[in-house]
Amino acid sequence: MKRRDFVKNTALASSMFMVPNFIRAFDDVLRKSIGYKRLVIIHLDGGNDGLNTLIPFRNDIYYRNRPKLAISKKEVLKLTDEVGFHNSLQPLKKLYDQGNLCILNNVGYPNPDRSHFRSTDIWQTASSSSQYLPTGWVGRYLDKFGDNTYNAIEIGDSLSLTLKGKNKNGIATTDAQRLFRTSQSPYFKEVLNQYQSDHLSEHNLGYLYKTMISAESSAKYIYETSKTFNTKQSYPNTAFSKQLKTTAKFINSGIDTKVFYTSLAGFDTHAGQAGQHSRLLKQYAEGIDSFVNDLQDNNTFNDTLILTFSEFGRRVEQNAANGTDHGAANNVFIIGKNLKTQGLYNRPDNLKDLDANGDIKFEIDFRTIYATVLSKWLNAADEEVLNHNFQKLDFI
Amino acid sequence: MQSKLIMETRHIQHLYWRAGFGISPKDLNNLIGKSRDEIVEDLFYESRRPVPIDIDHSEFRNLNIQHLLEDKVELRKVKEQMKLKLVDLNLAWIERLSNPKGLLREKMTLFWANHFVCRENMSMYAEQYNNTLRENALGNLRSFTKAVSREPAMIKYLNLKNNRRKRPNENFARELMELFLLGNHHYTEKDIKQSARAFTGYDFDFLGEFKFRRMLHDFGRKTFFGRKGMFSGDEIIDIILVEKQCARFICEKIYTYFVKEDLNQNHIEQMVKVFYPNYDIEKLMRFVFMSNWFYEEENIGTKIKSPIEFLVGIHNVVPLKFTNAKQLLGIQKMLGQILLYPPNVSGWQGGKGWIDSNTILLRLRLPSILLSNAMIPLRGSNDFYDKFYTVGRSKRTMNPFKVETNWKQFSANFEDVAIETMQNYLFQGNINTGTENLLNKIRKTSKSDFCVQLMSVPEYQMC
Repeated sequence: MKRRDFVKNTALASSMFMVPNFIRAFDDVLRKSIGYKRLVIIHLDGGNDGLNTLIPFRNDIYYRNRPKLAISKKEVLKLTDEVGFHNSLQPLKKLYDQGNLCILNNVGYPNPDRSHFRSTDIWQTASSSSQYLPTGWVGRYLDKFGDNTYNAIEIGDSLSLTLKGKNKNGIATTDAQRLFRTSQSPYFKEVLNQYQSDHLSEHNLGYLYKTMISAESSAKYIYETSKTFNTKQSYPNTAFSKQLKTTAKFINSGIDTKVFYTSLAGFDTHAGQAGQHSRLLKQYAEGIDSFVNDLQDNNTFNDTLILTFSEFGRRVEQNAANGTDHGAANNVFIIGKNLKTQGLYNRPDNLKDLDANGDIKFEIDFRTIYATVLSKWLNAADEEVLNHNFQKLDFI
Repeated sequence: MQSKLIMETRHIQHLYWRAGFGISPKDLNNLIGKSRDEIVEDLFYESRRPVPIDIDHSEFRNLNIQHLLEDKVELRKVKEQMKLKLVDLNLAWIERLSNPKGLLREKMTLFWANHFVCRENMSMYAEQYNNTLRENALGNLRSFTKAVSREPAMIKYLNLKNNRRKRPNENFARELMELFLLGNHHYTEKDIKQSARAFTGYDFDFLGEFKFRRMLHDFGRKTFFGRKGMFSGDEIIDIILVEKQCARFICEKIYTYFVKEDLNQNHIEQMVKVFYPNYDIEKLMRFVFMSNWFYEEENIGTKIKSPIEFLVGIHNVVPLKFTNAKQLLGIQKMLGQILLYPPNVSGWQGGKGWIDSNTILLRLRLPSILLSNAMIPLRGSNDFYDKFYTVGRSKRTMNPFKVETNWKQFSANFEDVAIETMQNYLFQGNINTGTENLLNKIRKTSKSDFCVQLMSVPEYQMC
């Protein structure tokens, strides 16, 4: 071997064991002791029928508008003298009885949009209905208060707008090991090892390298942290429960993640709603049941808040196909320990005064819920994230 | 004259990345020796005639419409079927971009689709809209905007269908000014209210033909931008186009997309002078591609490819065919850009917005997944690594995609290219010093291996 080649090769070999300094810096953060509040967001995708979820079983208007779809009084799991749960929600009734559930009714925003995409957009970015924001509300939270990419994790294949900020983003994964392997190709390692930071500041190319570096170290961190925990709790065999199982594994392993994002799709029940809706609610409730048990068994439930929303509710009047069309205001569930308001936060709409489309009018702006969670749960300056000083509510 | 000078190779590549999706060494060879004038002119000549996308809609066009409109259950069924067809349209569009009939026109269509943003479930209307964009892509902004306002897809998307004399809906009027023609703050809320009245009565029939419903139109007097009259929708568009801000707004958007994100006001002014008041898009684009500043070093290879530019770009190097075409839809989703499914009326933000931890990893992995069974060859740089490495240990998980790769075409395209110079054809801009060292060190034994290696670094993401 020529001397020059020898020098080159040894330099190369040794550099493979050298980790760039800024990756090291991430490792230090890992060692920080953790144990703080976490938020789990669940999106019921498609527009959940809130009226058949929390049923106003004494309301004649409800029964008149839904001759085929209304749920009879005797089938309802009664919560109060007026309302009760769909009978697929037994586990949620349990949480309600324990005081670990708060239901906010008539949640929405002014000038509601009835397009799935647009209304999801509005909920994800926390915009008004006439505003188009390029960043999600959790993304902006990361921009202001996040240290690392893995501070917010979406349990999915790709990152939704909620977790995208201006300068920082969360990371999506369904399988920490797979994500890790993807990021650990020997070739990428070589590229990162050889990489010189002279172009780091360079506009777009530098941004690509920076993102590549943080993706690599985040994937590694998530995998190595989460693999220390073995799940003992059993979960139903559904895709949604798998998301929650992964979330619980992350939380119970002590990962430094503040926000998790999951979703359950299929709520767009325009036709033949009854069976499908019942199945979905069951999947939701059974998943939640295992999830909460898993957290309780590992003493992490106290520090976890679960927020369930849907992009809109559905029309009060059923349609000809025994389904319901897109509506407006809806209920939001908050699950957690030591809630300040347990049970119903406010009364459900009496359905006497609907909007021009025959939909429920909003009473609580969804952004006041975000503001409350940001300030009272995540200890963040909500106004900096939401760009507006929204009223704080009293559920936590 | 400078434009008669022989065009630099690097500049031809730059032009082809911005006006298209890159250029193969073979095609590039055919252009070397020509002047900028000739090369730019060729681009326009080749795009002179729009070729519409035409997927099979015969099953819908031959329906008994009267009967259908009365039978709600049947109508719902037809609508569901058309939603499924939207996937075919998506694939047909990608196929078109990969094998364009008029490269520049196709690139412009892609640009306009993210300007006059519209999302439509019914494939028949979505296709018609897409073809209207294609037809007007190099035409006149005035007739273009008017055509867009008459499209069923737009009439549905921005609620023109619900915009009636007695109950105006401002959605279209607002976006017309905010997102399509002027930009925020260049109009008042009153202008929106008044112009919304002018767009009342816009409707269409089942086959997608525009219908003006006189009974629903507000023929009354409107005050708009200080003018008073019984304005129609078309006249509102004419009045907006009198504003120089409209030309500036469009020029800025074109500059951001085709030149760079960082606006140079001097260049914008030059463009506005060309564009205003006739709004000839072809003339404007010719001016941009003929300008010396378009070829300035700071503009070359500094744009992050959109997912579609990235995918079509790979195809132009190694032709690909997805045998399970729907997987192509899945890839678009994971990369963050499904054609025909923009996130909202303001479209994809582009630039750094394409990149997050997941998309960068996917982008770096995808060439190897599609082209070499998820293996990125890493040999030659060190004896220790003198074999292939794989992501997944088990062979069956390596390539989840069913793709046919045409390496023969690649070999033909790169026949005259020395392996050491391949990066000149695959990268446009600067290379990180470390990465350059690595690429220099890699033992280059096969062009196809080296191609995958080059495509697997961040530099390949730039155009």
